[in-house]
Amino acid sequence: MKNILTITFIIACIDLSAQSTITVSGEVTKQLKLTQQDIGKYPQVEVKAKDREGKEHTFKGTALATVLDSAGVTLGKNLRGENLAKYVVITAADNYQVVYSLAEIDPEFTSNTVLLCTHVDGNPLPKGEGPFRIVNPADKRPARWIREIVSIRIGFAKP
Amino acid sequence: MRAVLLALIFTFTALPRNEPYELKYPANFGSRFTIPADNPITKEGVALGRMLFYEERLSSNNTRSCASCHKQEFAFTDNQRFSFGADGTPTNRNSMSLANVLWVNKFFWDGRTEGLEQQAIVPMTDPHEMNQSLGTSSKKLTQTKVYPALFEKAFGSREINGDRITKAISQFERTLISANSKYDQYLNKEYKLTESEQRGLVVFDTKGNCAHCHGGPKTFIELFHNNGLDSVQGRFRVPTLRNISVTAPYMHDGRFKDLSEVLNHYGGHIIESENVSPFLSRLSLTEDEKKDVISFLNTLTDTEFINNKNFSDPDL
Repeated sequence: MKNILTITFIIACIDLSAQSTITVSGEVTKQLKLTQQDIGKYPQVEVKAKDREGKEHTFKGTALATVLDSAGVTLGKNLRGENLAKYVVITAADNYQVVYSLAEIDPEFTSNTVLLCTHVDGNPLPKGEGPFRIVNPADKRPARWIREIVSIRIGFAKP
Repeated sequence: MRAVLLALIFTFTALPRNEPYELKYPANFGSRFTIPADNPITKEGVALGRMLFYEERLSSNNTRSCASCHKQEFAFTDNQRFSFGADGTPTNRNSMSLANVLWVNKFFWDGRTEGLEQQAIVPMTDPHEMNQSLGTSSKKLTQTKVYPALFEKAFGSREINGDRITKAISQFERTLISANSKYDQYLNKEYKLTESEQRGLVVFDTKGNCAHCHGGPKTFIELFHNNGLDSVQGRFRVPTLRNISVTAPYMHDGRFKDLSEVLNHYGGHIIESENVSPFLSRLSLTEDEKKDVISFLNTLTDTEFINNKNFSDPDL
């Protein structure tokens, strides 16, 4: 009986094991649901950046812009006019949310790479951080290096 | 003449059927909330929702209402570890405060339900809570003298159904705004914290890292974390700390009887596991620091809120 109660209890809490995909939705032409393997098929890039403690690490993953581009988000030559009023809401497993603007991510606007990171110093991101997090070397305070990403939604700022 | 007539007709049809309810809250709370387009808050809807919140006919044996487990004097909790429903059995989780639910999007300790309207259905129909289908509730209310007229005022016709019941209750719950504690007065520069409260606030913001999840004027961010409690593998809501001194016992299962037990947990007794939130401070707090944090937490009590006559049982 106690076991059944424990199992019911565990199921009733938010399931921690079922969070290994990212959905890309909103102002896209193609909704995506990406697994770790899917992310691994995108061109891989590395960036060096300092963590909260000031220690430098090598982060590997794919440029967020590449993933958004594959979902048909208005980047590059299409990032003009009203499309500059679009924003990216990234949500973590704990419901934490941060916002980037498309221009902060687009390589035609910035030489900074906002990385959808899967590996740090050659190892997969540890539990509690991974499997996916953002690494943005341009942010001095890493509060937008959102961990345990579960979804990315493109929105349009209302007039 | 025709123009005047047209203007009159226009005025008549453009008049709202009922009066919008103006939500009043401090600017520093922000407006990150959603009111469903099909359930705008009106004075008539709130008045009906308040009646329904205290209505025991909504339970299978006419003994329980929303207010049975959400008592205003305890900031809409019930001061018990678990609550007892219409069938006499205890609930699985501790009753949560309803203060500032306007800013909550995912409900229950585990955040499984989106929106107040969906949330309200669960306790009304759960066998361990009010234990009655919305269909039966609608029939019982239809047979009363007062309710058909109140539903007409709120929704434009005398029809009573589950959708309207949950909408009215949600409207009332969205008005349960707590924003006049000593802490609010401190933020508005109208109250000076005592030395102990001030020291407690510093521990709360820095060494304790409490503010990471409970920061900001609302004292919660809608997050879900594992806080290192024995035998818990999943995550639970970061609840508001407003009125925390009157909402004992604490945690999803009410395991801690008072704030000093809570501070003992966070201040050195977190059970480590791979699921524990990385944001929890692992620093031990001294006895003095714990006392100061509790002094600070006591400034979050909003006596105006727990005595506000607009939120009390309308029949009393």
